[in-house]
Amino acid sequence: MSGIIEEIKACVPGAGPVEVSYPEKGYHYALEASADTLPGLVGFFDEKRFYLECLLCTDYADYLELVYLFNTHLSPCRVKVTLKIDPQHPVAPSLSAIYASAYWYEREIHEFYGVLFTGHPNMAYLFLHDGIDHYPLRKANVPVSPEDQKRLDSFKPGEAEDTFCINLGPQHPSTHGVLRVVLKMDGEYIEQAEPVLGYLHRMHEKMAENRSYQQFLPNTGRMDYLGAMSFNLGYVLAVEKLCAIPVPDRAKFVRIITTELNRISSHLLWVGAYLADLGALTPFLFVFDDREQILDVLEGVSGSRLTYCYFRFGGLYNDVDDRFIAGTKAFVQRMWRRFTLYEKLVTGNVIFINRTKGIGTITKEQARKYGVAGPVLRSAGIACDLRKEEPYSAYNEVEFDVPIGEHGDVLDTYRVRIAEMENSLRIIEQALAKLPGGPFMAEKVPKKLKPPRGDVYQVVETPRGELGIYIVSDESDGPSRMKWRVPSFSNLMIFPELAKGVLLADAVAILGSLDLVIPEIDR
Amino acid sequence: MAGMVNDLLNIANSEAGKLIVGLVGVLAFVVVNALMLTWAERKIAGHMQRRIGPKEVGPYGLIQPIADAIKLLGKEILTPAKVDRPLYYLAPTLIFVPVLVSFIVIPFDASLQVTDINVGILVILAFSSITILSILMAGWGSENKYSLIGAIRSVAQNVAYEIPLLLALLPVIMLANSLSLKEIVEKQQSLWFVIVQPLAFIIYFIAGVAETNRTPFDLPEAESELVAGYHTEYSGMRFALFFLAEYTNIFIVCAIATIFFLGGYQGPVLPGIVWFLLKSYLLVFVIIWLRWTYPRVRFDQLLNFAWKGLIPLAFLNLIITGGLLKI
Amino acid sequence: MFPVKFALVEKVLDLARANSLWPVTFGLACCAIEMMAAAMSRFDLDRFGAGVFRASPRQADLMIVTGTVTKKMAPVLTTLYEQMPSPKWVIAMGNCAISGGPFVFEGQYNLVEGVDLLIPVDVYVPGCPPRPEALLEGFLKLQEKITGTRRFPRVESAW
Repeated sequence: MSGIIEEIKACVPGAGPVEVSYPEKGYHYALEASADTLPGLVGFFDEKRFYLECLLCTDYADYLELVYLFNTHLSPCRVKVTLKIDPQHPVAPSLSAIYASAYWYEREIHEFYGVLFTGHPNMAYLFLHDGIDHYPLRKANVPVSPEDQKRLDSFKPGEAEDTFCINLGPQHPSTHGVLRVVLKMDGEYIEQAEPVLGYLHRMHEKMAENRSYQQFLPNTGRMDYLGAMSFNLGYVLAVEKLCAIPVPDRAKFVRIITTELNRISSHLLWVGAYLADLGALTPFLFVFDDREQILDVLEGVSGSRLTYCYFRFGGLYNDVDDRFIAGTKAFVQRMWRRFTLYEKLVTGNVIFINRTKGIGTITKEQARKYGVAGPVLRSAGIACDLRKEEPYSAYNEVEFDVPIGEHGDVLDTYRVRIAEMENSLRIIEQALAKLPGGPFMAEKVPKKLKPPRGDVYQVVETPRGELGIYIVSDESDGPSRMKWRVPSFSNLMIFPELAKGVLLADAVAILGSLDLVIPEIDR
Repeated sequence: MAGMVNDLLNIANSEAGKLIVGLVGVLAFVVVNALMLTWAERKIAGHMQRRIGPKEVGPYGLIQPIADAIKLLGKEILTPAKVDRPLYYLAPTLIFVPVLVSFIVIPFDASLQVTDINVGILVILAFSSITILSILMAGWGSENKYSLIGAIRSVAQNVAYEIPLLLALLPVIMLANSLSLKEIVEKQQSLWFVIVQPLAFIIYFIAGVAETNRTPFDLPEAESELVAGYHTEYSGMRFALFFLAEYTNIFIVCAIATIFFLGGYQGPVLPGIVWFLLKSYLLVFVIIWLRWTYPRVRFDQLLNFAWKGLIPLAFLNLIITGGLLKI
Repeated sequence: MFPVKFALVEKVLDLARANSLWPVTFGLACCAIEMMAAAMSRFDLDRFGAGVFRASPRQADLMIVTGTVTKKMAPVLTTLYEQMPSPKWVIAMGNCAISGGPFVFEGQYNLVEGVDLLIPVDVYVPGCPPRPEALLEGFLKLQEKITGTRRFPRVESAW
């Protein structure tokens, strides 16, 4: 958006927005706010229909810095707003009244850094367990303050006269993972749904600060084990952006082939798991059959079936051979025919349509306020796909469509995902045809990386939506702060809103349609 | 010595003797049938899902149900502390009673029926309502929210679907002019009732699937929502009783469908009992097939389907049949 | 009077228990997907009698701990274990369940380093994640532990 700098200066005097080089940094504009100018700025962004992409905190030794990233869905214009806070008395204004997605981001920052957000309705602990005694992501060991001690054991659902509370999880008969949702029910209708997170918090962000860039590579696959290739891709792109490492063309094409294969396998698993939630157990086994074909192909080239670690800074781990190309072509041929099977078994099934039509409708305004991403966003009608908006790797050299839905209900998310699988097959076919020869790894990539001081932000489109990686480097060979903005976190935020007043069976259907992978939420 | 043998033969030929032999036979059949159906379900599911089911335990996995049964017998008998003891203990035993009683009046062959009560179908339908009672006892007595939700769903579902079940059987009773199962089969010598009453057959079958809590109507045990429904808190042999009762109920539903609509044990060449079992197990196969194909319906859709769909249709069918009979 | 010999009964019970192990659905993290793959058409766990994954722990005998155990999840896991009636067994699948896995680092604050700090484990299946064949091998090893004899002959490795 050109002219935004003038608009910001006009609307909020005292702000000094600066234009930044997008290919180097990953965002377009940066500006520094203070506690007085922040509410005005946020109101301005809300009016201009920006969404809050990410909210994070970094611990520099003398101060804490809150970073707000605002962006628009179509025609991206990413603005980074920073706010410095005093580490001894960390206080900041809360945005949860304007942007609903800030509600959980602020709770997370509170429990990891100790920042108190004034005006926040419920500053309870979100991820950490009851025995925690310090703020984990602070560089120094800062013990938990006495007011926060009281907040540790604060999650107790209240039971009123005609209602009762039941738990959905953390042990699930279906494949959601360790997510616990406390449902306050009135008969079969849900009055309130409250997710409880943190059952799989594996400290990825703290580990990033204790590891070098190369040592952190395996962690990326464990964060989202179903779409591990795209998480890998986002991470290596971020570090390559930070250290300005070029990537040869062959590596770019192979990267998108493997990422699209991974996307198909992730969507297939979603289809199977979703139908298992609804009670049809047979499609689950059919999709695992198809997945096994993909896993065989990817295992031949990367060595793992599930949690890949195939990309390296500057290229790939090893080259693809003819077996990979032949296997991929055979899979693509087979998969085109399988779509008719799924069409007959699932899409045309009247019970399935009745269970999913008109359930969990998301409006465009809700999608913006909550910052939802991925197929959930596209089912609401917003045609935002980061592979087209901010292309990376070789995506600008292949042609594909961005399928969108009309109503924003659960049936639309299903249709969008099936259409995305078809488009992925098209991308794979085109990329295989265009695959160039040449080296698969850049020359002279230093073993010990020496990145410049500063920060970068990289986004990729994972099967679940928009993944953002924010790295702060302090010239050492490991990151000083790495924040992962994961799509499942923002998609889960909309669930309590959608689950109000629906039947229990519908709530399960809505939860399944958001395609959550819990390790990436809990990081 | 000869006198004692003579006495034994006299006892065996008497009414009481025939009854006892029949009851023992029925009990054996129930057990074998339930065991075999668990094996059949896993094998059929396996083949529909492009894999083999149980294979290692005996040839073709045939010993698998026996291994399951022995294992369940050897489990710790666990009673959670807060359960309502009388209800909790009584529920599994009570659920087996209607099953056994129903078998007493089912004619396997022209001469293979334990006893021919002249209101046979009424006995079966009356006793099958005890199943609902026992499910409610299991759900309430378990002191577990999931069990309670599952049990209440089951009660609403069973009450709603019993009515179309009855209404679908009434036209056949009117056509056969009798409530006795044997006479209904005898009246189908020339024409099976399914040809005269196809709508009643379909309504009865759907209502029967709903009565036995099978997918697509298996909300009381909805795994992904309710952990395991009304039998969440049962372990070991008590759980096995619920399991066995469910499978035997499936067979009873199919047996009644066979008797009422498909001609019972009538058929050329082969003995009557072979035809009866063939037809019944064909319908059992269809029920197993349905489970592995369709997703679950939602609760309000289920009740809407019964009250606004099946019951009016069944009434219509009944009125038309009655009108045509009068003419 | 006459001695009561239980050996044959024990043997039959052991055989029955080993051939009809019902796992409880307890997938925590990435290894859960490989456990599901082991139960699917290609690697079919149902052949050995373990096809029925019961959702309620009261009806299961085997708990396959697949994935990382965090301090918040630990009480849930022990509750589930205690709800299972004996005889019960535990397979620790994946590096995280065995000893914390790749997430152990100096200053870690949220991990239980190995599920055997909480509940007794019978078989350990290493890998990150282990292949479904590895889980099948672990399963066969558990059956060997219960009955005393191994079902299939051990395959000698080529190197």
